[in-house]
Amino acid sequence: MSYTITDCCNGCGACMRLCPVDAIAGEKKEKHRIVEELCIDCGACGRICPEGAVIDSDGQVCSMIKRSQWSKPRFDEKLCASCNICIDACPVGCIGLSKAASEKNPYGYPFLRDEKACIGCGFCADECPVGAVAMA
Amino acid sequence: MSRGYMGKILNIDLGTGEISEEVMPDEIYETYLSGMGLSAYLLNKRIPAGADPLGPENVLGFVSGLLTGTGSFFTGRWMVVGKSPITSGWGDANCGGNLSPAIKRCGYDGIFFRGISEKPVYLSIKNGTAELRDAGHLWGKDTVETEEMLIKEAGGNTRVACIGPAGENLSRISGVSNDKGRLAARSGLGAVMGSKRLKAVVLSGAKRIKAKNPDIMKKLSRACNKWVQFQPPFVSGPATAKVGALLRILPTQMAQDGMLFKIILKKWGTACMNQMSIEMGDAPIKNWMGSNKDFGPKKSLTTNPDAIIERERIKYHCYSCPLGCGGICSLNGEYPETHKPEYETVLALGGLCMNEDAESIFELNEVLNRAGMDSISAGSTVAFAIECFERGILTKEDTDGLELTWGNTEAIRELIRKMIQREGIGDLLADGSKYAAERIGNGSYEFAMHAGGQDLPMHDGRNDPGFVLHYSVEPTPGRHTIGAQLYYEMFQLWKTVKGLPKPSILYHKNRKYEADEEKAIWAAACSKYVNVINGAGLCLFGAFLGSKRLPLFDWLNAATGWDKTPEEYMEIGGRIQTLRQAFNIKHGVTPKSFVVPDRALGKEPLTEGANKGRTIDIEPMMRNYWRLFGWDEISGKPMEEDVERLKIKG
Repeated sequence: MSYTITDCCNGCGACMRLCPVDAIAGEKKEKHRIVEELCIDCGACGRICPEGAVIDSDGQVCSMIKRSQWSKPRFDEKLCASCNICIDACPVGCIGLSKAASEKNPYGYPFLRDEKACIGCGFCADECPVGAVAMA
Repeated sequence: MSRGYMGKILNIDLGTGEISEEVMPDEIYETYLSGMGLSAYLLNKRIPAGADPLGPENVLGFVSGLLTGTGSFFTGRWMVVGKSPITSGWGDANCGGNLSPAIKRCGYDGIFFRGISEKPVYLSIKNGTAELRDAGHLWGKDTVETEEMLIKEAGGNTRVACIGPAGENLSRISGVSNDKGRLAARSGLGAVMGSKRLKAVVLSGAKRIKAKNPDIMKKLSRACNKWVQFQPPFVSGPATAKVGALLRILPTQMAQDGMLFKIILKKWGTACMNQMSIEMGDAPIKNWMGSNKDFGPKKSLTTNPDAIIERERIKYHCYSCPLGCGGICSLNGEYPETHKPEYETVLALGGLCMNEDAESIFELNEVLNRAGMDSISAGSTVAFAIECFERGILTKEDTDGLELTWGNTEAIRELIRKMIQREGIGDLLADGSKYAAERIGNGSYEFAMHAGGQDLPMHDGRNDPGFVLHYSVEPTPGRHTIGAQLYYEMFQLWKTVKGLPKPSILYHKNRKYEADEEKAIWAAACSKYVNVINGAGLCLFGAFLGSKRLPLFDWLNAATGWDKTPEEYMEIGGRIQTLRQAFNIKHGVTPKSFVVPDRALGKEPLTEGANKGRTIDIEPMMRNYWRLFGWDEISGKPMEEDVERLKIKG
């Protein structure tokens, strides 16, 4: 089950511009639709929609949240194993790997490289096996 | 669907340009897993007997692993498969980096190409749209340039697999590169990609990869990670040579626990073995004629583990790896960033050619990665050419004026450049030592160190006969990544798989050379387990932690929702092995032709050094091994009824 768009949609295109996998189709000022095979359930469309026209995969109507208040990943380097899973999980590629921490600690760690691009999906936290990523 | 695998593959006909998705039934995965197993099933059906490896009928596949992306650790390895132009039989090579999840995030467990394109093309998959695009502007570019250009064009989280000039020039020792020069190097599948005029596969997808029981996956991963992060301080780099010497001098040997290897691997990467292996007799020297006496600690000091990581700027982790054995190093001059040379590369371009110049090894590693040429085979072929020159079989006239003597760094550098470009003598050598020897003649064949055309890796069977057995009996000969007596000890399968014997903790070294039934059981278990590993997309270095600490079977059950026992998974591993061997038989390969040359068996034995006097009687070992798979023990051919039984699935 993917997200769906209801008749409340006014075709503003906000969701289409944000969708990281080009899963939303539709003409401007006309009702949009989500291509189920492409949708990855990131929920960005629901958070951005000013009309409350998006229903999540559980059938709940998504509420618009001001983008500055979307939760962002926070990384705990003490738990992190530098395994790259969170970086790969990010559908917008906004997580980068830092340079080596120091000569004694030659490991790089994930960090939010492009905060503006983050869509707050939480996939990075969801996929981290060791709980080193938290959304806040 | 939440079963770890995506349940679909993509088929592309490069001749017609047709692209189509194909759903794979669950039964296929339950019978063969994904990755290697799925490929063995498909390629057996799809490549007709006698197909030219470089012709349109060959099928080239890029496959991910069943566990890739499921919350498991060490499961970021992808595999390229096809009919090998080296052996004319089954071919596969795998690699880490970040490509494996990218295949699944595009929605597929594998992408399979057949046919030949009229002009150079690359495959682009982005958000559900797959298309072939013109690659005219990329043809001739090296692997790093190609990848950088394609990522710039595609943007976002894009991953690329591509060939360099070696694959374009149809070198039988070329591979497929990803993550800027990491190479799926063996089996010569870069040439297959070149023959299809397929320059690259460019993947930009964000599909979710879902496990059946994600919480159990993570719980298992956290327990595994505790072992990985246990890291007491260890001795200095050059002291590893002394450890190796100690292991050589002692008449007895202790069964190895992979935790020790993990500790030095995490500290140095595979460079940890650079000196130790020479001292203990694991590393072949001077085209397998020499020993630690010829290339002692002073000569190998330039490549000691500390010297290698002195250039390391940051540790490199493949996808889902908590260990990080790789490293990004910087070189003065042309290459500010380069992958840390692996042990295999250091020895193939170092001790095997008697080359002491570490700078040249760093540089040639990058040169070969960019060309997309296998550094093991390249080093082995150079060593072969040097021996030919030293014996007067090749002269300066043949070598375009190169003084091909042992340890002549400049000549080695120039020869490799020529091999990549197929220029002059380089053309003769660009397909590996076997094909070069066939053309050179004059008795040179006996010092072409290969198995079935695959140049031998840097682990000497005269030290661990398990290596030389696997080099000789596997459907993909000449591989160091499948089995050895050492590997059986480190896998610790007897702790999870019922009926497998526990090796003695302390034993006399002479026992390693006894071709008894137990050794065959170890070897068969290694082959089966590694097939499961390659179906899951797991890294061998993770498996070295031991089967209790690396919960492969439990991860597989948690990811898929199956309830299989370790013994059932080992049976799947055996099934994959039989399928791969059946592929070889179908394509006219004689299994016995893969036996390594006499020199690698110690016939005549070395007169000095770590492996002095060691000879391996491989015949009984091979017979025992083949019998344990239920194959004919004399010919190595699977029984017809077994092959038929395997075919019925799906």
